[in-house]
Amino acid sequence: MSTVLTLQNISKYYGRFRALNGVSFEVPEQSIFGILGPNGSGKTTLLSVVLDVMKANGGNYLWFGQPGSGAQRKKIGSLLETPNFYHYMSAIDNLKVTQSISGRGNASDIDIALKKVGLFDRRFSSFRSYSLGMKQRLAIGATLLGDPGVLVFDEPTNGLDPVGIAEIRELIIELRKSGHTVIMASHLLDEVEKVCTHVAILKTGNLLSVGDVEELMIADDVVELSASDLGRLAEILGKYNAQIIIKRDENNIHITLPRGSAQLEQINKYCFENGVVLNHLQLKKKKLEARFFELTNN
Amino acid sequence: MNNLIRTEWLKIRKYNAFWWIMGVTALAYPGINYIFYLGYQSLTHSESQAGKFATMLLGNPFTFPEVWHTVAYCSSIFVFIPSVVIIMFISNEFAYKTQRQNIIDGWSRNQFMSSKLIDVLITSVIITLLFVLVSFIWGASNFPVGKTEIFGQFYYVGLFALQTFAQLSLAFLVAYLVKKSFLSLGIFLFYFIILEPLLVFIFRNKVDDIGAFLPLEISDRIIPVPGFSRHISPEGYQRSLSEIQPHIFYTIALTALIWIICYRVNSKRNL
Repeated sequence: MSTVLTLQNISKYYGRFRALNGVSFEVPEQSIFGILGPNGSGKTTLLSVVLDVMKANGGNYLWFGQPGSGAQRKKIGSLLETPNFYHYMSAIDNLKVTQSISGRGNASDIDIALKKVGLFDRRFSSFRSYSLGMKQRLAIGATLLGDPGVLVFDEPTNGLDPVGIAEIRELIIELRKSGHTVIMASHLLDEVEKVCTHVAILKTGNLLSVGDVEELMIADDVVELSASDLGRLAEILGKYNAQIIIKRDENNIHITLPRGSAQLEQINKYCFENGVVLNHLQLKKKKLEARFFELTNN
Repeated sequence: MNNLIRTEWLKIRKYNAFWWIMGVTALAYPGINYIFYLGYQSLTHSESQAGKFATMLLGNPFTFPEVWHTVAYCSSIFVFIPSVVIIMFISNEFAYKTQRQNIIDGWSRNQFMSSKLIDVLITSVIITLLFVLVSFIWGASNFPVGKTEIFGQFYYVGLFALQTFAQLSLAFLVAYLVKKSFLSLGIFLFYFIILEPLLVFIFRNKVDDIGAFLPLEISDRIIPVPGFSRHISPEGYQRSLSEIQPHIFYTIALTALIWIICYRVNSKRNL
């Protein structure tokens, strides 16, 4: 699988403040690549650099194996930070400007893009008359114009209602199925977990972790168990393994074991032999949210 | 180039403020010339000795070929009207963040700046065509029988176009550096209407007329006071004519410098 975007030691300073500190990673083709991080971690700055809106102080980046250029950006549908359109123009006229600059699509593709984001009926209304969610939809529509192979979304669900958020999630899944590459910065961990194949986690400009979402989330094995006597269950589990971490809630007990060491049959047998009959036993993936908090120490 | 022109046309054609300002300019140029013309008529159409003296002194600055010079001079005072459009063009791009979107969508930074250069050029061409139209109508309506030298001073069209482009470029530079529309307008209009004329006046007889090298005055001097002034101050008129040639060079140099600054800043600026 080839690489769509390569970052090599990207650094960016705002005065003395270091917004990006030698960030390097690669975005594989046909991946849904999430860039995660708390506010101020450098997500938008990173996307601004690779879209030539900001100049990096160090390092370089390659799109499709070539140094970044206007010709490369024309092949990418990008939404960076906020919907940026001419307020006095209608949706259709704004997309004509996008089409004229990028060369992506034609007049009928503009209609297709507007229909896809549910703005076709309001295509002649001026941008200034749109609600925040409609503006965001138009920005997403502009990225879809001409069906580019690569899309960059910076917080794509900003300003959208729950239906809109679900629609965008479906759209990204659809894009993944049709072989598109999507690079998406977000702080909505649940959204990223649902749609992303790869993830990079940033904190204060430093890259903390990067890789396949599944691998990142199953850094440890988490097993959920339950029995009629939770107290007794917790007591015997404490003696099961020296590296075990036990957490108890109202109905279940969660045990965390080193990755690959949770053998459900063995755990079940151990409990039974110690006089506890389990009524629930399940190997669970660690939530991305939990992994994110671990990595960012929040 | 075609792509840049096409895209700028898409932005301009739905921009109502542009058409309103062009409409105001289309009224202002004949308007200011009509005011001068009425003043001329009230001076020269008097049967008194003073009226005859004024006719002898002023001639008819509103007939061919002198009309090209007279209308150019009168109209150039009002270049601040289209400068509003130029300032809005670039300030809007900052306010709507569309300059960054244009780059994201695939223009290079130099292409973006060239698109703005095209805006200034298009506006300058429209203003110059308006000037040609007003001059021609005025000259034709005052056409003296037997006189055929219609295009005798037609080179003032070129000088007017250069001056307009130079002064609109300066307005663009202010807006590009300041970014905020109302602040840019305030700064440019204050400088255009008050500060520079005051400085030129103060410097006129001091420090070797250094006011001639102030940004607007550099191009102001390529269109001197109309020819009737030679009867009032022959030396002054001759001096103003001799300044045209070097000031054409200074104007071109300053305008080139303005655009070099804009291109350079734009290539390095965080958008």
